[in-house]
Amino acid sequence: MPNATVTGKAKDRSGSTTPPPKRRAPRLTTLFGRQPLGIGLAAPYAVFLAAVFAYPLGLAVWISFHDYFFTAPGAQVARPFVGLDNYKTALADPAVRRSFLNVVEFLVINVPLTVVLALVLANALNGAIRGRTFLRVAYYVPYVTASVAVVAVWLFLFSSNGMVNQLLGPLAPDPSWLINNKLVMPVIAIFVTWKQLGFFILLYLAALQNVPRELYEAASVDGAGKFRSFMNVTVPGVRPATTLVVILATITGANLFTEPYLLTSGGGPNGASASPVLVMYQKGIEQGNPDVASAIGVILVIGVLVISLINRRLLERD
Amino acid sequence: MGFLLLGAFVFLFPFYYMVIGSLQKTPDTSIAGAIPTHGLTLDNYSQINERVDLARSLVNSGIFTGGVILFTVVFGVLAGYALARLHFRGRSTLFALMLLVMMVPFQLLIIPLYVMVVRSYGLADSYMGMILPFAINSTAVFVFRQFFLSLPEDLFAAARIDGAGELRILWSIALPLVRPALVTAALLTFIGPWNEFLWPFLITKDQDLQPLAVSLANYISNIAGRAANPFGAILAGAVVLAAPAVALFVAFQKHFTSSELGSGVKG
Amino acid sequence: MKSNKVAAAAVLTLAIGTTAACGSSGGSGGSDASGAQAAHGPVNVWLSNNPEEVAWGKAMVEAWNTAHPTELVTAQEIPAGKTSEEVIGAAITAGNAPCLVFNTAPAAVPQFQKQGGLVALDSFPDGKAYVEARTGAPADQYKSPDGKFYQLPWKSNPVMIFYNKDIMTKAGIDAENPPLATYDEFLATSKKIVSSGAAQAAIWPAPTSEFFQSWFDFYPLYAAETGGKQLVEDGKATFDSEEGKRVSNFWRTMYAEKLAPQEKYPADSFADKKAAMSIVGPWAISVYGDKVKWGAVPVPTSAGTTADKTYTFSDAKNIAMYSACKNQGTAWDLLKFSTSKDQDGALLDKTGQMPLRKDIATVYADYFSSHPDYKKFADQAARTIEVPNVPNSIAIWQTFRDGYTSSVIFGKTPIDDAFKTSSDKVTALAGQS
Repeated sequence: MPNATVTGKAKDRSGSTTPPPKRRAPRLTTLFGRQPLGIGLAAPYAVFLAAVFAYPLGLAVWISFHDYFFTAPGAQVARPFVGLDNYKTALADPAVRRSFLNVVEFLVINVPLTVVLALVLANALNGAIRGRTFLRVAYYVPYVTASVAVVAVWLFLFSSNGMVNQLLGPLAPDPSWLINNKLVMPVIAIFVTWKQLGFFILLYLAALQNVPRELYEAASVDGAGKFRSFMNVTVPGVRPATTLVVILATITGANLFTEPYLLTSGGGPNGASASPVLVMYQKGIEQGNPDVASAIGVILVIGVLVISLINRRLLERD
Repeated sequence: MGFLLLGAFVFLFPFYYMVIGSLQKTPDTSIAGAIPTHGLTLDNYSQINERVDLARSLVNSGIFTGGVILFTVVFGVLAGYALARLHFRGRSTLFALMLLVMMVPFQLLIIPLYVMVVRSYGLADSYMGMILPFAINSTAVFVFRQFFLSLPEDLFAAARIDGAGELRILWSIALPLVRPALVTAALLTFIGPWNEFLWPFLITKDQDLQPLAVSLANYISNIAGRAANPFGAILAGAVVLAAPAVALFVAFQKHFTSSELGSGVKG
Repeated sequence: MKSNKVAAAAVLTLAIGTTAACGSSGGSGGSDASGAQAAHGPVNVWLSNNPEEVAWGKAMVEAWNTAHPTELVTAQEIPAGKTSEEVIGAAITAGNAPCLVFNTAPAAVPQFQKQGGLVALDSFPDGKAYVEARTGAPADQYKSPDGKFYQLPWKSNPVMIFYNKDIMTKAGIDAENPPLATYDEFLATSKKIVSSGAAQAAIWPAPTSEFFQSWFDFYPLYAAETGGKQLVEDGKATFDSEEGKRVSNFWRTMYAEKLAPQEKYPADSFADKKAAMSIVGPWAISVYGDKVKWGAVPVPTSAGTTADKTYTFSDAKNIAMYSACKNQGTAWDLLKFSTSKDQDGALLDKTGQMPLRKDIATVYADYFSSHPDYKKFADQAARTIEVPNVPNSIAIWQTFRDGYTSSVIFGKTPIDDAFKTSSDKVTALAGQS
């Protein structure tokens, strides 16, 4: 995660010198750390993670290296180790490759759009005084509703005879949005941006509180207009939030499943809106090949990890 | 300001359309249909009630979501505090594991998880089985951690100098302060289980246990087609699913403000 | 540095997972199969959530329970549709599948069998005999590659072309005998419907990519055109052939001339009168109800065949017994009870779907004389083909569908190329075990 407090001890914000903590028996300290109570407090969470995530995740990774399918309890079946075969099969499949390209296309549209819109709207909301409650509710509402509920309306709106095409008249694309393999992913990207924006506006709103007022005053003394002060004060001032937004949006985007599943039932025209998780679901659960599906999943997680690290590196250049 | 209003209109329009569509007697996709002057009816809603036990589903959703919020708040606060303020062996590894967990898609884990919950723990068709994979929300732990990090170091240092034990510090200083973060975390945690469809769908066959998201998703995809106005029925189902979440949010939105999450993005 | 910690976390995860995997793959104690077969006691079953089937199911269970108070049956509904296979598959893996599922799709049987989730009906002394006696010759299509029955052919919904009489009249076509027997006639009629504005589409099959959608556009016509060939026979794909291409070119023309839309209709286009025709089985009759004045004809063929020689897709749903069942003796008895002449009659009566039983037209002559609409389907039910019972059946259908949508529905690739590629892949998949 992005901010500097991540890697080690919490930064001492007050800056004052504090006397060293009480001395404990050195052996205990080296064995368990300075405050071993932490182990006790964190233990339930750690056990939960181990049981609910580490085990299935470890199993999924193990599955990806074997010729594996799920069986009824008691069924004896050979599960030979096959090395990287599943990975090779996955990457050789054009549908899988297409799905990774689709998700990159999605991210390229969704992430910058999210960052820009969230910051601009948060900035505007920050300054707004009247109707604040209504505006906040308006922007957050899509975030709290289930995709299942909202997708029906979007299908209605974006279908060939839907309102969007009626409004566009002769400019309506042909083939229409959801069956056009060039437009379908952008439509999904916009849908997800709309749906998630509320959360990111919230993050930016919080960050905006921490941009010191003096900087704005200094900027206006220097003669900077609204746009200038936005670019030179606000944007740098919320840099840590931007990193967080980019990384969170990337992670949720890479794991896109519900929207392609619901909006385009099975991957869209020629798989133009299939996402890796959708393909994983089809291969793993529908077609009974969890080994190849797990391979796809592992590749995806590694990809997300790499992109997040790159993003963090790029955005935290200071 | 005008820009904000335009944005709000664009954001809310699909919901407005959803409600209008659910009230129509016959589907009307034209632009004029967006501003109806007649032909509105509540039939679509009464049809849902015939096929789906809305009250029971709401209760189930409440238990499921409530259980998750409870576990998250209790154990998440402790874990967040430990990750933020206490130095212990394995702290960074736990933190890294938490981040890793947030990156992994649920669909990768779902069958092993299902097998584990049903076979090893024997929790099929039970509330605990529904709650278990979601029990402690990692994002909430992250929020708690960032919140505790933002508290002044002096507070804790002074207490330690005074000779207070760690448990004492936790109980008398950290916990009383955490209230604002609790509401934010609760609201964040709420959205997941309330809208979750796939897991409860797999875990429960008993219809009495199914939460609202499952009953309505089932209605929308399989049963609405039989109604007199299938489109209206689908949209009515969608409105019923979305309404409680929106209502709860509107009621608590003043807590969902910037200051509580401010700690999440400090530099 | 953070990456070290991430690596540590990853290794920890792997370690836990591997030990767990070693534990789980060893298999947790086999179930005593032979013991289970003789056992009698309470059983539970799953029904689909089609309201008419549920009504039938509940009545059947009640009748059984009254007669067998020591072997009570509990019935639950599972959602029908594409998700029911996932639910059943997950239940098999977890070991909590019910004894019988009255909604087992033939396409999923090879997969469930591979998982070790099904009980071969042949293992009961009268198993094979019962299935063959009830269904007759078509039962062969439901045998698995090892020659055993892992499913009981229960009911079919022979797919035919429904047409809306009012729309036909509006378009100036004879509503009692619309010309729909050959491809040329069908195309001409469709053009008339759309150009006259009587309906938005002539027919509106779902153009989406789910693996089962081909059962409602390509497959019924392929069955008719080939006189009863399955998609895969003797381990080889059959559709890369003259007949397959004729069917595909027909549909390509429908899409190219906008007689069938390339976009999914979110509800039922025939019931909403947006499409003049639909291609579906008799279960839809209760959906259309009084909304539409409908007529039904067999699916078209290129040269035209008489109704009594036309084949189609069965859209069957069967009953399977699952290995998690403890009281298989009772389950087998229940299976026979629920498919007895009386119960099949009740099913026909309540749902209008055709039990996969020999000579239903004569056995239930009374029903058909009071429901003449359904007689056509009873006749058609004698000439249906099923999905091929081969390994990787679902992957095969998905592969076919992907090639089909790309070439036929969206016209992005030439049909010859797409079919050649799919056909090779399908043959390869069918050959794996």
